[in-house]
Amino acid sequence: MKNRNLAIVGIGLHPWGVFKDKSMAEMGCVAISNALADAHMKWRDIQTMACGAFMWIADGGGVPSLLLGTTISTMMGRTGIPCANVVNACASGQSILREACLAVASGEYEIAIAVASDKSAGGFFRPQSRDALWDTDYMRYAMTGETNPAYWAMEMKRRMRDVGTTEDDMAMVKVITSQASVHNPNSRYKKVFTKEEVLASPMVCDPLHLFEICATSDGAAAIIVCPMEIAEKFTDKPIQIEGCSVGTASFGDPTIMLTYLSTYPQPGVLPYSESRNALADAYKQAGRTPKDIDIVELPDNSSWHYFTYLDMILGLEYGGSEKLLREGYFNVPDGKVPVGASGGFGAFGEATVAQGLWQVIEICRQLRGDAGGGQVPNNPKVGLAQSYGYAGNNGVAIMSKAF
Amino acid sequence: MAEKNKVPRIEGLFTWPSDQPRLIASRCKKCGAASFPKSPFCTNPDCEKNTDNVEVIELSNRAKLYTFAIQTYPPPEPFKLEPFEPFPIGMLDVPEGLRILGMLTTDKVEIGMEMEMTTKTLYEDEENEYITWAWKPVG
Repeated sequence: MKNRNLAIVGIGLHPWGVFKDKSMAEMGCVAISNALADAHMKWRDIQTMACGAFMWIADGGGVPSLLLGTTISTMMGRTGIPCANVVNACASGQSILREACLAVASGEYEIAIAVASDKSAGGFFRPQSRDALWDTDYMRYAMTGETNPAYWAMEMKRRMRDVGTTEDDMAMVKVITSQASVHNPNSRYKKVFTKEEVLASPMVCDPLHLFEICATSDGAAAIIVCPMEIAEKFTDKPIQIEGCSVGTASFGDPTIMLTYLSTYPQPGVLPYSESRNALADAYKQAGRTPKDIDIVELPDNSSWHYFTYLDMILGLEYGGSEKLLREGYFNVPDGKVPVGASGGFGAFGEATVAQGLWQVIEICRQLRGDAGGGQVPNNPKVGLAQSYGYAGNNGVAIMSKAF
Repeated sequence: MAEKNKVPRIEGLFTWPSDQPRLIASRCKKCGAASFPKSPFCTNPDCEKNTDNVEVIELSNRAKLYTFAIQTYPPPEPFKLEPFEPFPIGMLDVPEGLRILGMLTTDKVEIGMEMEMTTKTLYEDEENEYITWAWKPVG
Protein backbone atom coordinates (compact mmCIF):
# COMPACT_ATOMS: atom_id res chain seq x y z
CA MET A 1 0.00 0.00 0.00
CA LYS A 2 1.11 3.53 -0.82
CA ASN A 3 1.61 5.27 2.54
CA ARG A 4 3.21 2.47 4.52
CA ASN A 5 4.47 -1.05 4.06
CA LEU A 6 2.24 -3.34 6.12
CA ALA A 7 3.07 -6.62 7.82
CA ILE A 8 0.98 -9.53 9.01
CA VAL A 9 2.59 -10.45 12.34
CA GLY A 10 -0.05 -12.64 13.94
CA ILE A 11 -2.35 -15.33 12.55
CA GLY A 12 -4.81 -17.47 14.44
CA LEU A 13 -7.50 -20.00 13.60
CA HIS A 14 -10.21 -21.96 15.30
CA PRO A 15 -10.39 -25.29 13.43
CA TRP A 16 -13.12 -25.80 10.80
CA GLY A 17 -15.91 -28.26 11.51
CA VAL A 18 -19.21 -28.40 13.37
CA PHE A 19 -19.17 -27.08 16.94
CA LYS A 20 -22.73 -27.16 18.22
CA ASP A 21 -21.82 -26.24 21.80
CA LYS A 22 -19.72 -23.18 20.95
CA SER A 23 -20.93 -19.69 20.15
CA MET A 24 -19.39 -17.66 17.36
CA ALA A 25 -17.97 -15.30 19.97
CA GLU A 26 -16.22 -18.16 21.75
CA MET A 27 -14.71 -19.42 18.49
CA GLY A 28 -13.67 -15.86 17.63
CA CYS A 29 -11.91 -15.52 20.98
CA VAL A 30 -9.98 -18.74 20.30
CA ALA A 31 -8.82 -17.36 16.94
CA ILE A 32 -7.82 -14.02 18.49
CA SER A 33 -5.94 -15.73 21.33
CA ASN A 34 -4.00 -17.82 18.83
CA ALA A 35 -3.16 -14.74 16.74
CA LEU A 36 -2.04 -12.81 19.85
CA ALA A 37 0.17 -15.72 20.92
CA ASP A 38 1.63 -15.92 17.41
CA ALA A 39 2.52 -12.20 17.58
CA HIS A 40 3.63 -12.33 21.25
CA MET A 41 1.03 -9.66 22.03
CA LYS A 42 -1.60 -9.02 24.64
CA TRP A 43 -5.23 -8.16 23.89
CA ARG A 44 -4.64 -4.64 25.22
CA ASP A 45 -1.99 -4.11 22.49
CA ILE A 46 -4.72 -4.13 19.84
CA GLN A 47 -5.69 -0.56 18.93
CA THR A 48 -8.49 -1.07 16.42
CA MET A 49 -10.62 -3.94 15.21
CA ALA A 50 -12.76 -4.97 12.27
CA CYS A 51 -15.05 -7.98 12.46
CA GLY A 52 -16.98 -9.97 9.89
CA ALA A 53 -20.66 -9.96 10.83
CA PHE A 54 -22.68 -13.16 10.50
CA MET A 55 -25.08 -13.16 7.56
CA TRP A 56 -27.54 -15.89 8.45
CA ILE A 57 -29.09 -14.14 11.43
CA ALA A 58 -32.63 -15.22 10.59
CA ASP A 59 -31.45 -18.82 11.02
CA GLY A 60 -29.84 -18.15 14.39
CA GLY A 61 -27.57 -15.85 16.29
CA GLY A 62 -29.63 -12.69 16.07
CA VAL A 63 -28.28 -9.24 16.78
CA PRO A 64 -25.24 -10.41 18.83
CA SER A 65 -23.98 -12.20 15.71
CA LEU A 66 -24.71 -9.20 13.50
CA LEU A 67 -22.70 -7.05 15.94
CA LEU A 68 -20.24 -9.90 16.28
CA GLY A 69 -17.11 -7.81 16.83
CA THR A 70 -18.78 -5.97 19.68
CA THR A 71 -19.85 -9.31 21.17
CA ILE A 72 -16.36 -10.78 20.77
CA SER A 73 -14.70 -7.73 22.30
CA THR A 74 -17.02 -8.10 25.28
CA MET A 75 -15.95 -11.71 25.75
CA MET A 76 -12.26 -10.84 25.26
CA GLY A 77 -12.71 -8.00 27.77
CA ARG A 78 -13.77 -4.47 26.88
CA THR A 79 -10.83 -2.18 26.11
CA GLY A 80 -12.70 0.67 24.44
CA ILE A 81 -11.10 0.30 20.98
CA PRO A 82 -12.96 1.11 17.77
CA CYS A 83 -14.73 -1.87 16.18
CA ALA A 84 -16.44 -1.99 12.78
CA ASN A 85 -18.84 -4.88 12.12
CA VAL A 86 -18.78 -5.61 8.39
CA VAL A 87 -21.36 -7.63 6.44
CA ASN A 88 -19.88 -8.66 3.11
CA ALA A 89 -20.78 -12.32 2.75
CA CYS A 90 -17.97 -14.50 1.35
CA ALA A 91 -15.85 -11.39 0.79
CA SER A 92 -16.03 -10.44 4.48
CA GLY A 93 -12.54 -11.76 5.26
CA GLN A 94 -10.71 -9.59 2.75
CA SER A 95 -13.09 -6.72 3.56
CA ILE A 96 -12.15 -6.61 7.25
CA LEU A 97 -8.49 -7.23 6.50
CA ARG A 98 -8.70 -4.23 4.19
CA GLU A 99 -10.22 -2.18 7.04
CA ALA A 100 -7.34 -3.23 9.31
CA CYS A 101 -4.78 -2.38 6.61
CA LEU A 102 -6.31 1.02 5.87
CA ALA A 103 -6.42 1.83 9.59
CA VAL A 104 -2.66 1.22 9.90
CA ALA A 105 -1.76 2.65 6.49
CA SER A 106 -3.49 5.90 7.44
CA GLY A 107 -1.03 6.34 10.30
CA GLU A 108 -3.83 6.66 12.86
CA TYR A 109 -3.17 3.20 14.37
CA GLU A 110 -0.13 0.93 14.75
CA ILE A 111 -1.77 -2.40 15.54
CA ALA A 112 -5.05 -3.57 14.05
CA ILE A 113 -6.87 -6.90 14.13
CA ALA A 114 -9.32 -8.43 11.69
CA VAL A 115 -11.43 -11.24 13.13
CA ALA A 116 -14.30 -13.31 11.81
CA SER A 117 -16.28 -16.22 13.15
CA ASP A 118 -18.98 -18.21 11.46
CA LYS A 119 -21.50 -20.96 12.04
CA SER A 120 -22.70 -21.72 8.53
CA ALA A 121 -22.66 -25.48 9.03
CA GLY A 122 -25.72 -27.61 8.72
CA GLY A 123 -28.04 -26.00 6.29
CA PHE A 124 -28.73 -24.81 2.80
CA PHE A 125 -28.20 -21.13 2.33
CA ARG A 126 -31.60 -19.49 2.18
CA PRO A 127 -33.18 -16.06 2.06
CA GLN A 128 -33.04 -14.08 5.28
CA SER A 129 -36.37 -12.30 5.00
CA ARG A 130 -40.01 -13.15 4.40
CA ASP A 131 -40.34 -10.16 2.20
CA ALA A 132 -41.37 -10.84 -1.37
CA LEU A 133 -41.50 -7.11 -2.08
CA TRP A 134 -37.89 -5.98 -1.60
CA ASP A 135 -35.84 -9.16 -1.33
CA THR A 136 -34.87 -10.52 -4.75
CA ASP A 137 -33.10 -13.37 -2.94
CA TYR A 138 -36.50 -14.43 -1.55
CA MET A 139 -38.01 -14.08 -5.04
CA ARG A 140 -35.40 -16.22 -6.75
CA TYR A 141 -35.92 -19.07 -4.28
CA ALA A 142 -39.72 -18.84 -4.29
CA MET A 143 -40.22 -18.37 -8.02
CA THR A 144 -37.32 -20.19 -9.69
CA GLY A 145 -36.01 -22.64 -7.06
CA GLU A 146 -32.49 -21.46 -7.81
CA THR A 147 -30.09 -22.69 -5.12
CA ASN A 148 -26.48 -21.54 -5.13
CA PRO A 149 -25.25 -24.89 -6.54
CA ALA A 150 -27.89 -24.61 -9.30
CA TYR A 151 -26.33 -21.29 -10.33
CA TRP A 152 -22.86 -22.81 -10.32
CA ALA A 153 -24.16 -25.78 -12.32
CA MET A 154 -25.68 -23.49 -14.96
CA GLU A 155 -22.36 -21.69 -15.28
CA MET A 156 -20.50 -25.02 -15.48
CA LYS A 157 -22.84 -26.29 -18.18
CA ARG A 158 -22.15 -23.23 -20.31
CA ARG A 159 -18.41 -23.44 -19.69
CA MET A 160 -18.37 -27.11 -20.72
CA ARG A 161 -20.05 -26.17 -23.98
CA ASP A 162 -17.76 -23.19 -24.61
CA VAL A 163 -14.33 -24.59 -23.69
CA GLY A 164 -14.81 -28.36 -23.48
CA THR A 165 -14.38 -28.95 -19.74
CA THR A 166 -14.75 -32.70 -19.15
CA GLU A 167 -16.28 -34.75 -16.32
CA ASP A 168 -12.74 -35.86 -15.48
CA ASP A 169 -11.51 -32.24 -15.27
CA MET A 170 -14.25 -31.39 -12.78
CA ALA A 171 -13.52 -34.46 -10.66
CA MET A 172 -9.75 -33.80 -10.67
CA VAL A 173 -10.28 -30.52 -8.81
CA LYS A 174 -11.33 -32.47 -5.73
CA VAL A 175 -8.65 -35.11 -6.27
CA ILE A 176 -5.88 -32.48 -6.43
CA THR A 177 -6.98 -30.25 -3.55
CA SER A 178 -7.79 -33.18 -1.26
CA GLN A 179 -4.12 -34.25 -1.31
CA ALA A 180 -3.40 -31.54 1.26
CA SER A 181 -6.40 -32.21 3.50
CA VAL A 182 -4.66 -34.89 5.56
CA HIS A 183 -1.69 -32.62 6.37
CA ASN A 184 -3.66 -29.64 7.64
CA PRO A 185 -4.42 -29.70 11.39
CA ASN A 186 -7.36 -27.32 10.92
CA SER A 187 -9.17 -29.04 8.03
CA ARG A 188 -12.55 -30.68 8.59
CA TYR A 189 -12.44 -33.51 6.03
CA LYS A 190 -9.11 -35.34 6.16
CA LYS A 191 -9.40 -37.65 3.18
CA VAL A 192 -7.68 -38.01 -0.17
CA PHE A 193 -10.22 -38.68 -2.92
CA THR A 194 -9.88 -40.67 -6.14
CA LYS A 195 -11.45 -39.58 -9.40
CA GLU A 196 -13.72 -42.61 -9.29
CA GLU A 197 -15.02 -41.69 -5.82
CA VAL A 198 -15.82 -38.16 -6.94
CA LEU A 199 -17.63 -39.29 -10.08
CA ALA A 200 -19.58 -41.92 -8.11
CA SER A 201 -20.89 -39.33 -5.63
CA PRO A 202 -24.54 -38.25 -6.02
CA MET A 203 -25.43 -35.68 -8.66
CA VAL A 204 -26.53 -32.57 -6.73
CA CYS A 205 -27.11 -30.18 -9.62
CA ASP A 206 -26.33 -31.70 -12.99
CA PRO A 207 -23.45 -31.42 -14.04
CA LEU A 208 -22.01 -30.99 -10.50
CA HIS A 209 -21.56 -33.99 -8.19
CA LEU A 210 -21.65 -33.84 -4.40
CA PHE A 211 -17.86 -33.98 -4.06
CA GLU A 212 -17.49 -31.23 -6.64
CA ILE A 213 -19.31 -28.81 -4.31
CA CYS A 214 -18.07 -27.75 -0.87
CA ALA A 215 -19.89 -28.30 2.40
CA THR A 216 -20.76 -25.57 4.92
CA SER A 217 -18.74 -25.39 8.15
CA ASP A 218 -18.15 -23.51 11.38
CA GLY A 219 -14.80 -21.76 11.78
CA ALA A 220 -13.03 -18.62 12.97
CA ALA A 221 -9.90 -16.70 12.02
CA ALA A 222 -7.95 -13.63 13.14
CA ILE A 223 -5.07 -11.63 11.62
CA ILE A 224 -2.95 -8.89 13.24
CA VAL A 225 -1.49 -6.12 11.05
CA CYS A 226 1.18 -3.53 11.92
CA PRO A 227 3.63 -1.30 10.02
CA MET A 228 6.54 -3.26 8.55
CA GLU A 229 9.09 -1.10 10.39
CA ILE A 230 8.00 -2.47 13.78
CA ALA A 231 7.17 -6.03 12.63
CA GLU A 232 10.40 -7.52 13.99
CA LYS A 233 9.24 -6.72 17.53
CA PHE A 234 6.52 -9.34 17.08
CA THR A 235 7.75 -12.01 14.67
CA ASP A 236 10.83 -13.42 12.93
CA LYS A 237 8.73 -14.14 9.85
CA PRO A 238 6.77 -11.06 8.84
CA ILE A 239 4.55 -11.38 5.77
CA GLN A 240 4.02 -8.22 3.76
CA ILE A 241 0.45 -7.53 2.76
CA GLU A 242 0.92 -5.83 -0.58
CA GLY A 243 -2.65 -5.43 -1.71
CA CYS A 244 -6.09 -6.03 -0.27
CA SER A 245 -9.20 -5.15 -2.20
CA VAL A 246 -12.94 -5.59 -2.32
CA GLY A 247 -14.65 -5.54 -5.70
CA THR A 248 -18.17 -4.82 -6.77
CA ALA A 249 -19.59 -5.62 -10.19
CA SER A 250 -19.74 -3.53 -13.35
CA PHE A 251 -22.93 -2.45 -15.11
CA GLY A 252 -23.55 -4.78 -18.03
CA ASP A 253 -22.05 -7.91 -16.47
CA PRO A 254 -23.59 -10.81 -18.39
CA THR A 255 -24.02 -13.23 -15.50
CA ILE A 256 -27.05 -13.34 -13.22
CA MET A 257 -25.30 -13.08 -9.86
CA LEU A 258 -26.65 -14.91 -6.83
CA THR A 259 -29.66 -13.20 -5.21
CA TYR A 260 -30.74 -11.56 -8.51
CA LEU A 261 -33.33 -12.55 -11.10
CA SER A 262 -31.80 -10.93 -14.16
CA THR A 263 -28.95 -8.97 -15.67
CA TYR A 264 -28.56 -6.57 -18.59
CA PRO A 265 -25.48 -7.72 -20.52
CA GLN A 266 -23.51 -5.06 -22.38
CA PRO A 267 -20.94 -5.50 -25.15
CA GLY A 268 -17.39 -5.68 -23.88
CA VAL A 269 -18.28 -6.33 -20.24
CA LEU A 270 -16.87 -9.64 -19.02
CA PRO A 271 -18.67 -11.89 -16.53
CA TYR A 272 -17.80 -12.06 -12.79
CA SER A 273 -16.74 -8.43 -13.04
CA GLU A 274 -16.77 -8.04 -9.22
CA SER A 275 -13.96 -10.61 -9.10
CA ARG A 276 -12.05 -9.05 -12.00
CA ASN A 277 -12.40 -5.61 -10.42
CA ALA A 278 -11.12 -6.84 -7.04
CA LEU A 279 -8.17 -8.58 -8.73
CA ALA A 280 -7.25 -5.56 -10.83
CA ASP A 281 -7.28 -3.31 -7.77
CA ALA A 282 -5.23 -5.72 -5.64
CA TYR A 283 -2.65 -6.26 -8.41
CA LYS A 284 -2.39 -2.49 -8.85
CA GLN A 285 -1.89 -1.88 -5.12
CA ALA A 286 0.78 -4.59 -5.02
CA GLY A 287 2.48 -3.54 -8.25
CA ARG A 288 2.30 -7.19 -9.30
CA THR A 289 1.16 -9.19 -12.31
CA PRO A 290 -0.20 -12.76 -12.45
CA LYS A 291 3.29 -14.01 -13.40
CA ASP A 292 4.51 -13.12 -9.89
CA ILE A 293 2.09 -15.44 -8.09
CA ASP A 294 3.65 -18.63 -6.68
CA ILE A 295 0.70 -20.00 -4.72
CA VAL A 296 -3.06 -19.49 -4.79
CA GLU A 297 -5.99 -20.00 -2.44
CA LEU A 298 -9.26 -19.54 -4.31
CA PRO A 299 -12.96 -20.07 -3.65
CA ASP A 300 -13.40 -23.68 -4.71
CA ASN A 301 -17.05 -23.65 -3.65
CA SER A 302 -17.42 -25.88 -6.71
CA SER A 303 -15.28 -27.18 -9.54
CA TRP A 304 -16.75 -24.42 -11.71
CA HIS A 305 -15.31 -21.78 -9.39
CA TYR A 306 -11.87 -23.38 -9.50
CA PHE A 307 -11.55 -23.10 -13.28
CA THR A 308 -13.26 -19.73 -13.56
CA TYR A 309 -11.20 -18.11 -10.81
CA LEU A 310 -7.91 -19.51 -12.07
CA ASP A 311 -8.61 -18.04 -15.51
CA MET A 312 -9.08 -14.64 -13.89
CA ILE A 313 -6.33 -14.79 -11.23
CA LEU A 314 -3.64 -15.92 -13.66
CA GLY A 315 -4.92 -13.87 -16.59
CA LEU A 316 -5.50 -16.97 -18.74
CA GLU A 317 -7.68 -17.24 -21.84
CA TYR A 318 -11.22 -18.60 -21.27
CA GLY A 319 -10.66 -22.31 -20.62
CA GLY A 320 -6.94 -21.97 -20.05
CA SER A 321 -7.09 -23.40 -16.55
CA GLU A 322 -8.45 -26.77 -17.69
CA LYS A 323 -5.41 -27.18 -19.98
CA LEU A 324 -2.95 -26.32 -17.20
CA LEU A 325 -4.78 -28.57 -14.72
CA ARG A 326 -4.31 -31.53 -17.09
CA GLU A 327 -0.57 -30.74 -17.23
CA GLY A 328 -0.30 -30.82 -13.42
CA TYR A 329 0.48 -27.10 -13.23
CA PHE A 330 -1.78 -26.60 -10.17
CA ASN A 331 -0.90 -29.85 -8.42
CA VAL A 332 -0.75 -29.95 -4.65
CA PRO A 333 1.86 -29.82 -3.28
CA ASP A 334 4.30 -29.90 -6.19
CA GLY A 335 2.74 -28.01 -9.10
CA LYS A 336 4.33 -24.94 -10.68
CA VAL A 337 1.62 -22.87 -8.96
CA PRO A 338 -0.03 -24.99 -6.26
CA VAL A 339 -3.72 -24.14 -5.86
CA GLY A 340 -5.59 -24.96 -2.66
CA ALA A 341 -2.54 -26.32 -0.84
CA SER A 342 -4.55 -25.93 2.37
CA GLY A 343 -7.02 -28.56 1.18
CA GLY A 344 -9.27 -25.79 -0.09
CA PHE A 345 -12.97 -25.34 0.54
CA GLY A 346 -13.31 -29.02 -0.33
CA ALA A 347 -11.45 -30.01 2.84
CA PHE A 348 -12.61 -27.12 5.02
CA GLY A 349 -16.15 -26.31 3.95
CA GLU A 350 -17.50 -22.86 3.58
CA ALA A 351 -17.58 -20.76 6.77
CA THR A 352 -18.88 -17.76 4.87
CA VAL A 353 -17.65 -14.84 6.91
CA ALA A 354 -14.41 -16.37 8.20
CA GLN A 355 -13.08 -18.08 5.09
CA GLY A 356 -11.43 -15.05 3.49
CA LEU A 357 -9.16 -14.58 6.52
CA TRP A 358 -8.53 -18.31 6.66
CA GLN A 359 -7.35 -18.25 3.01
CA VAL A 360 -4.90 -15.43 3.80
CA ILE A 361 -3.64 -17.34 6.84
CA GLU A 362 -3.02 -20.45 4.73
CA ILE A 363 -0.95 -18.35 2.29
CA CYS A 364 0.99 -16.90 5.27
CA ARG A 365 1.75 -20.41 6.62
CA GLN A 366 3.15 -21.41 3.22
CA LEU A 367 5.20 -18.20 2.79
CA ARG A 368 6.60 -18.66 6.31
CA GLY A 369 7.46 -22.28 5.55
CA ASP A 370 5.32 -23.37 8.48
CA ALA A 371 2.88 -25.68 6.69
CA GLY A 372 4.51 -28.89 7.91
CA GLY A 373 3.60 -31.98 5.89
CA GLY A 374 1.52 -29.77 3.61
CA GLN A 375 4.39 -27.39 2.77
CA VAL A 376 4.67 -26.73 -0.96
CA PRO A 377 8.18 -27.32 -2.34
CA ASN A 378 8.33 -24.38 -4.78
CA ASN A 379 9.66 -21.96 -2.13
CA PRO A 380 6.82 -19.48 -2.65
CA LYS A 381 7.58 -15.75 -2.38
CA VAL A 382 4.21 -14.27 -3.39
CA GLY A 383 0.73 -15.65 -2.79
CA LEU A 384 -2.82 -14.61 -3.64
CA ALA A 385 -6.06 -15.38 -1.80
CA GLN A 386 -9.40 -14.68 -3.46
CA SER A 387 -12.88 -15.26 -2.10
CA TYR A 388 -16.19 -15.50 -3.93
CA GLY A 389 -19.12 -13.29 -2.96
CA TYR A 390 -22.87 -13.04 -2.83
CA ALA A 391 -24.72 -10.56 -4.98
CA GLY A 392 -21.65 -9.22 -6.80
CA ASN A 393 -18.97 -8.65 -4.20
CA ASN A 394 -15.53 -10.15 -3.96
CA GLY A 395 -12.28 -9.93 -2.03
CA VAL A 396 -8.60 -10.38 -2.95
CA ALA A 397 -5.39 -10.19 -0.91
CA ILE A 398 -1.79 -10.44 -2.17
CA MET A 399 0.97 -11.31 0.30
CA SER A 400 4.73 -11.72 0.04
CA LYS A 401 7.54 -13.13 2.16
CA ALA A 402 9.35 -10.32 3.99
CA PHE A 403 12.18 -12.05 5.80
CA MET B 1 -64.78 -30.81 -8.75
CA ALA B 2 -64.49 -27.12 -9.51
CA GLU B 3 -61.22 -25.95 -10.98
CA LYS B 4 -59.07 -24.01 -8.50
CA ASN B 5 -57.93 -20.45 -8.99
CA LYS B 6 -54.43 -20.11 -10.37
CA VAL B 7 -52.60 -17.45 -8.37
CA PRO B 8 -49.01 -16.21 -8.82
CA ARG B 9 -46.81 -17.35 -5.90
CA ILE B 10 -45.61 -13.71 -5.77
CA GLU B 11 -47.86 -11.05 -7.32
CA GLY B 12 -46.63 -8.38 -9.70
CA LEU B 13 -43.78 -10.19 -11.46
CA PHE B 14 -45.80 -11.26 -14.52
CA THR B 15 -49.11 -10.28 -16.09
CA TRP B 16 -51.95 -12.37 -14.71
CA PRO B 17 -54.57 -13.56 -15.43
CA SER B 18 -53.56 -13.92 -19.05
CA ASP B 19 -53.50 -16.47 -21.89
CA GLN B 20 -50.03 -15.21 -22.77
CA PRO B 21 -48.44 -14.05 -19.52
CA ARG B 22 -45.41 -11.76 -19.77
CA LEU B 23 -42.78 -10.70 -17.26
CA ILE B 24 -43.19 -7.15 -15.94
CA ALA B 25 -39.93 -5.18 -16.20
CA SER B 26 -38.80 -1.57 -16.45
CA ARG B 27 -36.82 0.29 -19.09
CA CYS B 28 -35.02 3.62 -19.18
CA LYS B 29 -36.46 5.92 -21.85
CA LYS B 30 -33.04 7.64 -22.20
CA CYS B 31 -30.60 4.72 -22.58
CA GLY B 32 -32.80 1.63 -22.95
CA ALA B 33 -31.36 -0.24 -19.95
CA ALA B 34 -33.92 -2.72 -18.65
CA SER B 35 -34.43 -4.26 -15.20
CA PHE B 36 -36.36 -7.25 -13.92
CA PRO B 37 -38.04 -7.00 -11.46
CA LYS B 38 -38.76 -3.39 -12.30
CA SER B 39 -36.48 -0.77 -10.77
CA PRO B 40 -37.47 2.77 -9.74
CA PHE B 41 -34.22 4.08 -11.26
CA CYS B 42 -32.25 3.31 -14.40
CA THR B 43 -29.38 1.06 -13.31
CA ASN B 44 -26.93 2.51 -15.82
CA PRO B 45 -24.35 4.35 -13.67
CA ASP B 46 -24.08 7.12 -16.26
CA CYS B 47 -27.82 7.84 -16.37
CA GLU B 48 -29.45 10.38 -14.08
CA LYS B 49 -31.50 8.91 -11.22
CA ASN B 50 -34.88 10.26 -12.21
CA THR B 51 -37.93 8.01 -11.79
CA ASP B 52 -39.68 9.90 -14.61
CA ASN B 53 -37.16 8.41 -17.05
CA VAL B 54 -38.25 4.85 -16.26
CA GLU B 55 -41.23 3.14 -17.87
CA VAL B 56 -42.85 -0.20 -17.03
CA ILE B 57 -42.74 -2.70 -19.89
CA GLU B 58 -43.90 -6.24 -20.55
CA LEU B 59 -41.13 -8.47 -21.84
CA SER B 60 -41.40 -10.60 -24.94
CA ASN B 61 -42.61 -14.13 -24.22
CA ARG B 62 -39.96 -15.57 -26.53
CA ALA B 63 -36.39 -16.13 -25.35
CA LYS B 64 -33.21 -18.00 -26.23
CA LEU B 65 -31.77 -20.49 -23.73
CA TYR B 66 -28.32 -19.31 -22.58
CA THR B 67 -27.65 -22.17 -20.16
CA PHE B 68 -29.45 -24.57 -17.84
CA ALA B 69 -28.95 -27.17 -15.10
CA ILE B 70 -30.97 -29.72 -13.18
CA GLN B 71 -31.85 -29.07 -9.54
CA THR B 72 -31.95 -32.59 -8.11
CA TYR B 73 -32.76 -32.05 -4.41
CA PRO B 74 -35.48 -29.84 -2.88
CA PRO B 75 -34.39 -26.22 -2.39
CA PRO B 76 -35.04 -24.66 1.05
CA GLU B 77 -38.09 -22.57 1.92
CA PRO B 78 -39.67 -20.40 0.69
CA PHE B 79 -39.48 -22.67 -2.36
CA LYS B 80 -42.30 -25.21 -2.55
CA LEU B 81 -42.86 -27.74 -5.32
CA GLU B 82 -45.41 -30.39 -4.37
CA PRO B 83 -44.97 -33.17 -5.14
CA PHE B 84 -41.24 -32.51 -5.47
CA GLU B 85 -39.37 -33.86 -8.44
CA PRO B 86 -36.01 -32.78 -9.89
CA PHE B 87 -36.50 -29.82 -12.21
CA PRO B 88 -34.51 -27.92 -14.81
CA ILE B 89 -33.69 -24.24 -14.36
CA GLY B 90 -32.18 -21.88 -16.91
CA MET B 91 -30.94 -18.45 -17.90
CA LEU B 92 -32.70 -17.04 -20.95
CA ASP B 93 -32.10 -14.04 -23.19
CA VAL B 94 -35.14 -11.95 -24.15
CA PRO B 95 -35.12 -9.47 -27.07
CA GLU B 96 -35.28 -6.48 -24.70
CA GLY B 97 -31.67 -7.24 -23.76
CA LEU B 98 -32.24 -8.87 -20.38
CA ARG B 99 -30.95 -12.25 -19.30
CA ILE B 100 -33.56 -13.81 -17.00
CA LEU B 101 -33.71 -16.69 -14.55
CA GLY B 102 -36.54 -19.21 -14.64
CA MET B 103 -37.70 -22.80 -14.32
CA LEU B 104 -38.00 -24.87 -17.48
CA THR B 105 -40.88 -27.26 -18.13
CA THR B 106 -38.64 -29.99 -19.52
CA ASP B 107 -35.00 -31.09 -19.43
CA LYS B 108 -35.21 -32.03 -23.12
CA VAL B 109 -33.52 -28.78 -24.10
CA GLU B 110 -30.25 -27.55 -25.55
CA ILE B 111 -28.30 -24.34 -25.15
CA GLY B 112 -29.40 -21.88 -27.83
CA MET B 113 -32.93 -23.27 -28.11
CA GLU B 114 -35.87 -20.92 -28.73
CA MET B 115 -38.19 -20.97 -25.72
CA GLU B 116 -41.64 -19.60 -24.94
CA MET B 117 -42.98 -18.36 -21.63
CA THR B 118 -45.70 -20.26 -19.85
CA THR B 119 -46.66 -20.93 -16.24
CA LYS B 120 -45.98 -23.83 -13.92
CA THR B 121 -47.90 -24.91 -10.81
CA LEU B 122 -45.68 -25.06 -7.73
CA TYR B 123 -48.21 -26.30 -5.16
CA GLU B 124 -51.83 -25.97 -4.20
CA ASP B 125 -53.99 -25.56 -1.11
CA GLU B 126 -57.74 -25.98 -0.69
CA GLU B 127 -58.54 -22.82 -2.64
CA ASN B 128 -55.72 -22.02 -5.02
CA GLU B 129 -52.99 -23.33 -7.28
CA TYR B 130 -49.82 -21.27 -6.85
CA ILE B 131 -47.93 -20.64 -10.07
CA THR B 132 -44.68 -19.17 -11.33
CA TRP B 133 -43.36 -18.30 -14.77
CA ALA B 134 -41.56 -21.05 -16.65
CA TRP B 135 -40.13 -21.62 -20.09
CA LYS B 136 -40.95 -24.34 -22.62
CA PRO B 137 -39.48 -25.13 -26.01
CA VAL B 138 -41.27 -23.33 -28.87
CA GLY B 139 -43.67 -25.47 -30.87
